[in-house]
Order: sequence, then C-alpha cells, then structure tokens
Amino acid sequence: MSTISDIESDEHPMLRQLIKLGLVLLVQGIAVILIGFVALLVSLFVSLDPAWSATSDQATLLQPAEALSGTLLLKDDGVTTEAVRLGIDVDITVSGPTLRARVTQIFRNPGKDWVEATYVYPLATNGAVDTLKMVVGDRVIIGDIKERQQARVIYEQARRDGQKAALTEQQRPNIFTNSVANIGPGETVLVQIEYQEPVHQSGNEYSLRVPLVVGPRYNPSPIVQSVDFRPDGSGWGATKTDPVPDRDRITPPVLDPRKNPPINPTSITVRLQAGFPLGDVKSHHHAVKTDSPDATTRIVRLADDTVPADRDFELTWKPAAEKAPSVGLFREHVGDADYLLAFVTPPTLDQATQKPLPREAVFVIDNSGSMGGTSIVQAKASLLYALGRLQPNDRFNVIRFDDTMDALFPASVPADADHIREATSFVSALQARGGTEMVPAMRAALTDGIGDTNMLRQVVFLTDGAIGNEQQLFETITAMRGRSRIFMVGIGSAPNTYLMTRASELGRGAFTHIGSVEQVEERMRGLFAKLENPAVTGLSAKFSDTHADVTPAMVPDVYRDEPLVLAAKLDKLDGSFEIKGRVGDRPWSVTLPLSNAAEGKGLSKLWANRKIGDAEVARTMRELTQEDADKTILALALEHQLVTRLTSLVAVDKTPSRPAGEPLRLSELPINLPAGWDFEKVFGEQMQQVPAQLRERRADATGRTATRRPAPAAQPDTVRLPKTATTSELKMIAGLILLLLSLFLFVFNRRQLLAH
Amino acid sequence: MPRFISPLALALVGAILFGDGAYIHAKAWLAQVLLERAFAQSVATGQPTKPWSWADTWPVARVEVKRIGAHAIVLAGSSGQALAFGPGHVEQTANAGERGVAVYSAHRDTHFRFLQNVSVGDEIDITRSDGKRFRYRSDYSAVVRFDASGIDLATQGHELVLSTCWPFDALTPGPERYILHATMIGPD
Repeated sequence: MSTISDIESDEHPMLRQLIKLGLVLLVQGIAVILIGFVALLVSLFVSLDPAWSATSDQATLLQPAEALSGTLLLKDDGVTTEAVRLGIDVDITVSGPTLRARVTQIFRNPGKDWVEATYVYPLATNGAVDTLKMVVGDRVIIGDIKERQQARVIYEQARRDGQKAALTEQQRPNIFTNSVANIGPGETVLVQIEYQEPVHQSGNEYSLRVPLVVGPRYNPSPIVQSVDFRPDGSGWGATKTDPVPDRDRITPPVLDPRKNPPINPTSITVRLQAGFPLGDVKSHHHAVKTDSPDATTRIVRLADDTVPADRDFELTWKPAAEKAPSVGLFREHVGDADYLLAFVTPPTLDQATQKPLPREAVFVIDNSGSMGGTSIVQAKASLLYALGRLQPNDRFNVIRFDDTMDALFPASVPADADHIREATSFVSALQARGGTEMVPAMRAALTDGIGDTNMLRQVVFLTDGAIGNEQQLFETITAMRGRSRIFMVGIGSAPNTYLMTRASELGRGAFTHIGSVEQVEERMRGLFAKLENPAVTGLSAKFSDTHADVTPAMVPDVYRDEPLVLAAKLDKLDGSFEIKGRVGDRPWSVTLPLSNAAEGKGLSKLWANRKIGDAEVARTMRELTQEDADKTILALALEHQLVTRLTSLVAVDKTPSRPAGEPLRLSELPINLPAGWDFEKVFGEQMQQVPAQLRERRADATGRTATRRPAPAAQPDTVRLPKTATTSELKMIAGLILLLLSLFLFVFNRRQLLAH
Repeated sequence: MPRFISPLALALVGAILFGDGAYIHAKAWLAQVLLERAFAQSVATGQPTKPWSWADTWPVARVEVKRIGAHAIVLAGSSGQALAFGPGHVEQTANAGERGVAVYSAHRDTHFRFLQNVSVGDEIDITRSDGKRFRYRSDYSAVVRFDASGIDLATQGHELVLSTCWPFDALTPGPERYILHATMIGPD
C-alpha cells in the first residue's frame, strides 16, 4: 500500500485528498452494506418463514396432469388442490294433493385438507323446508330450527371447535345454502333436507317441478344506474340502498360448460300415489323409466342413473278419466288444531254464452344475456304465437328490455295487420345480450296510457327471471299495478319460479312456464285460454260452524282451468264451508261438507308456509310493517319448524373431529350453467360490474376458493382496505445494489489506475 | 480523475435511496415510541392527545398479541400519512368493543409485519384510548382483494379485522390484502 501512495503522491498531489475522501465514503458504504445485509438477512428470514409454513399446510400438491379427468381443481396461490365433490339424490313421494321431497347432498372431500363446503341450491318456491339431517359415518344428527342469527352463531362455534356441523339457510324463498364444516380428508358427509309442497294442478293436469340449479342472476348495481336511465318515470333514483344486499350469497361460482364436464350428478326417484287411476305420466326435460305397480301408483326413475344438475325436473300426470276431479278436500290433525287443504276448480262457461272481451295486451320480452341460447328462441316463438292470437278489436304493444329498453309503439295500437306485421319483424330481429334491468320495463308496461276501462288490461311478461332484486320488482308491481293484470311466462331450463309466482300473484294474474321449444304452443294456448276467458272474481270462503284462519288472506281471482287452492286452520272439523264468487257476470257458489275430507299429510306445514307467504306479501304491499311481518313469520316458523328468511336449521355433531391446529379451508361448490344458456352471453356481457379478476377466473374456469372470493366492485356494504405496502424494502434493495455497483466500479478504476 | 466521479455519484444515489428506505422504518419506529407516550397520556386524561404538535391524527387504541410479544398503537383514519406512523382505524368501521367490525390496517413491512406470525386461535388484546380493554380471539384469516374484502359491516357480532398487504414478502404494492378476523371473547 505504501508504495502505491508514494507513487500517487509523487505524481498527483491533489489526488491524495480525493482518495482520502473516497476511502471515507467507501468505509461508510461498507458499513451501510454490512448493516443492510444484516437487516436484509433478518427480514428475509422472517418473510420467508410464512411461505414455508404455508407450503407445509398445502399437503396436497397436485399438478393438473396428475388429476384424473373430470376432477375439478380449485386454484389457490399456484397450488392446486382437489375440490370437494358433490352428489345429489332427490327422492319424492307424492301422496294425493301433497308431495314430500327428501334431498340428500353427498359432500365428499378427496383432498388432504380439512374443508368447509358451501353449496347454493334451489328448491321449489312453495316448498316448506322442515327437516335437516347430517349423516357422519353411522351417526345421524337431526337439525334444530333456530333464529337465523342464532343458528349462524351455533354453526360458527362448532366450526371453530372442530365439530362437524351443517347449516341450512334461506336466501330467497327458492334459493337455499347448505354449509358443512369440518369435512376431514377423504371423508364423506351426507346432508339431507326435506320439504313439503302442494302438487300443482292446472286443468286436467297435475305437476311437480324440482329445480336443480340456480341460474346466474343479474344483480343491478346500487348507485350508478339511477342516472343512466332515460327519464321515463319519476322517483326511480330514490332507491338509496343496494337493490341486492345479499348478492354474494346468491352468486356461486359457475363453470363454463364448454371447458368443463358437467358436475353435481343427481339421481331422482318419484313415488307417485295420485289417489286416482293414472293416465299419462310424463317427464318433460329428462328421460325416465316408469314402473306401474298398480293403477294409482307410478315409480319414476331417471333413465340414466344420474344427470348433471343443470335444469329443472318437471313431471306431469293426468287421470285416466276424461276429467280430473274438480274438488279435492284434505285434512290433518296436528296438536289441538285441524288443518284443511281444499282444491276447487270453478266451472268454465261455454264459449257460446260469452261475448268477446276487448283487451289491451302489453307484451314484454326479456332479451338480456341470460336469455341467450335456447331461451330467447322459446321467448320469441311464444311472443309470435301470442301476436297471431290477437283479435282485430284488441289493442297491443311490445316492449323489449335488457339493460336498455324499447317500446315498439309510444302507446298501445289496434291489432290490425300492419301493426302485427311491424311487431312480428321487431320481435324476430331481437338478440339476447346485456344486463337485466327488469324494473323500468315493468314500470313502462304498467303505465296505463289509454285508460279505457271498457278494455281488459293485460301485461304478458316473458322472462327467465334471472335477477337478484326481486323485491324491487314486487314493490314496483304493488305501486303501479292499477287495473292491469300481470301474466308471467317463465322461460328456459331453470327459471326463477319464485319471481314468477309472486309477481303474478301481486299482479292478480297467472304464471305459465315454458321449458322447451316443444312446449311453446301447448302452454301458450293454455295462457290464452286464461287471457281470453273471464276470470272467477270476488271469491270468498265462509265456514258454517267453526272459526277458520284461511290463507291466502285475500282470495285471488282464478283463471280458466286453474283450481282455487285454500289452506285453513280450524278449531274443529264440523259443518261445511262455502265458496262464493262470480264467473264472468254470473254468481257461482259451492258448499263442501268438512266431514268428507280425506286424510292428508303435512298440511299444517303447507298452511304455515302459505301464511308466511301472506305476511311477505302484506309487507310488500305495505299493509304490515317490517317488524310486524317479521314477528308473524318468526312465530309461525318456530312453531311449525320451517326454514324462512328469519330461521335456519342447524345440526352439530357434538364429537369434535378436526384436531386443534389443523387449518380449515373453505370450498364454495361451483354449479353448472343451466342447460341451453350461453356462457359468453351471461358472463361476457351481462355481469359487467364484476371486476376483471372474476371474469378472467370464470373465463378460464379454474374455479376459485372462497378466501379469494371476488365480489362485484360496487359494494357499499364492504370495506375498501387501504394500501398497506411501503416502498421501503424496494428502495433499500435498490440503494444497496447501487452502493455495491459503485464499490465495484471504484475497485475496478483503482486497479486500472495501478496498472498505468 | 473523472473515472472516480461516476462511482462516487452512484454511491451517493445508492446511499440516499437506502437511507430513504431506512427512513420509512425509522419513522415508523420512532412514531410508535412517541405514540406510546401520547396513548398513555390519552388513557390517563381521557382526552385525545396528539403525539406531536403538528400531527393530524391521534391514537385510538393499542393492539397487542401477547403470545408473540407484538404490539402497536392504532391511529384514527387510514390515510397514507397516518399509516406511516402506525396502524390506522379504517373510517366508518366500528370502534373496538362495539357491535360491528373494527378494521385496523397497517403496512405489511412495518407495524403489521407481525401479522404473519399470528395464528388462528391467538388472543388479541385491544386497549381503547378511554382505557377500556377487550380481548378477541382470531378465528380465521383470508386473502382478499382490497375492494372485495367480504367484511360484513352490518354484522351483529363484535368483530375485529386486522388487514395488511399480501403477500408479506412482495416488494411492490398489489391489490391483494391479508385479513385476520377475530371475534370478541370478552372484556379483558
């Protein structure tokens, strides 16, 4: 060293000082680097720590290539684990006027982690869910009915304590969620729910419907759109709250059918005991095998053992006799009360005695993205059929909507050849795309421009009902219905039946369902029979000897071929009851002696369920306050053990199974897209409020875990978490690199200098 | 001669960058020392006390995880300035100990670095500036997007969420947040 400095000092006296300065800086730099390294090492060790522990948690490290075909993989931070698999078994026994369904969901966890599974599924709208059983190994745990909040607390507690638990919650009268906690590696847990439902009757035909999949709903975003709408009405912007506050609870992940094989295999068995000799028994959307042990009994099974849960199962049956019985009366004694269920089909007037009623028909057709595929074909065919049935003295209009809306004519026009031709070409050109903003379309349809009281005003609304803001639509109907009658036509393989039934009930109309193109003509003919023939109005029921709590509280008008269905709770089963009304302009009445009623099953549940429906309607119509309605519903639900908006079923296996310390993963089970739906149309365009991350995930259909559940962006009820990363580490590392670089340069330069 | 200028300049820039990064940590550490003092005074007087005269925020609570010996003073608000000094109590979320969810958020590389060591089942003690103490037990953690936290503000329970950026060892900011959820098990 000394020689070097000697040479330098001899040659460059100035340089000495500079080198001193450089050396000081260098020493300083080395000190900084040393400190930095220590700090960095410490921080690296600390920050690597969780990565290791996280990997050790992911016991199942499965590469996509190793998975058997058809296995669903959930992607989680680059590590793929096998998802919980679900099988469904539906077992239905029809006893005369009612049916009891037992739905068994089999949750199997093929992975090596402990899992909590949630599954969103539909049930019949009029179903009264009263039983939950959980089967773990050879133990059967029966669920209890509890207030919703309390049930949730019990479930969460069991989940934390490592106990197996099942929770059944109602999200809509036809959408339920089952959560199952602590399914161990390789374990299978069975969750069984049971419900009671009245059999549906229309004319000569009886039917049951088992929905198997919840169609993806369009959930209008809360704030923005009130300004986007055209000024077609006032007060629309007054909605302050989110129209779909529970949007994340009704939007399970949906698999793209083009990229995934169908999931959730379902088997269905129906034991049909009609109570009368059976004629034609038909499954409309599934191939079935039918056994006939005797004249009044059929056992219906799927022709293939299982089908994917992607469309409604619909079974209809007719009596062998020409005409179905026009009266059915059934009773059940529960506790200290008798329950009565009555079906009465009013007589139909001869065609000749009627004079044709001039009508104003407003047709509304949903051409949103969820209608893509076969649904829009059915809707257009139905509407074209309807246009063809109009009489020259009728007036009509056509409104189409997605997230925009068009009325063909400014006001209803006479149904002459020119107008019909114009409407036909308008309808034929419709394409399914965009969101589903149903409320403005309903408002437009209910706006009574002509106000001609000599005409019947009928709104025919064709939709799949794939919206999450049902309540908003119901409120619109209640507020604006005036003298209009609303006839809902449910389109597609998995329509929202709750929306259809409640909307037609509030709109004092009827509900028709069209599940395939083949059904269009038959069902539309049935609908036109209802539209063209006078309804049975002014109906009332009176009991001679006993006090009766009758539901529905307001007896609805009954359309042609439909039965009047009444349920009642009676003090005693004495005397008779009389139903009075008017068919067209003629009075009509019928008296039924109560002693003739036959024994029925589960009628008390049906009565209670129907009363709960009454309370919900009364709330929508502002006849009851929210508090009063809730009180009524809660009391009925707890007394009759029913799952409602306010009550849930919860089952807890007291034996803890998950060892303390073992992590629990949440797995939200994906569902199929309903058959005939177009994935692109639904998720490509409709759900534009969904953030990009979700669209990508859905598009590549890898599914997702709930810990990374993306929710729609516009969600006022959730917290936006602040940015919590500083750039300190980045700066420190960049600084270190620069310091190191300068050191190397310095050394390099000195070497070069020495070489000279 | 000029060949020494570039390494020197480089060294200077490097030192400044490093110092700037280190300053963030120093500030975070020093602020907590001052905040501890201000918080103790708040608890004693019952009045919100500013940690230094020009501060635009004040301590609202002290969060502590005894098992791993970690603690921090939580500030009102979750603005960038507040978060430089301590965890922030996210606006419009409940106060600790009240019905609803209290959300505390802090930087992953400073005050909430310790979150990665908190496991489900750990007890979290919160002392409010009015001196009331509440004990929570963590029941789950999750990784969420910042705009889809899934935190239910309308909950009926007494809940606490500690949130920070995810992943812990990343260098650049991202949209993902790590949340640790806890439910109150009683006043301490």
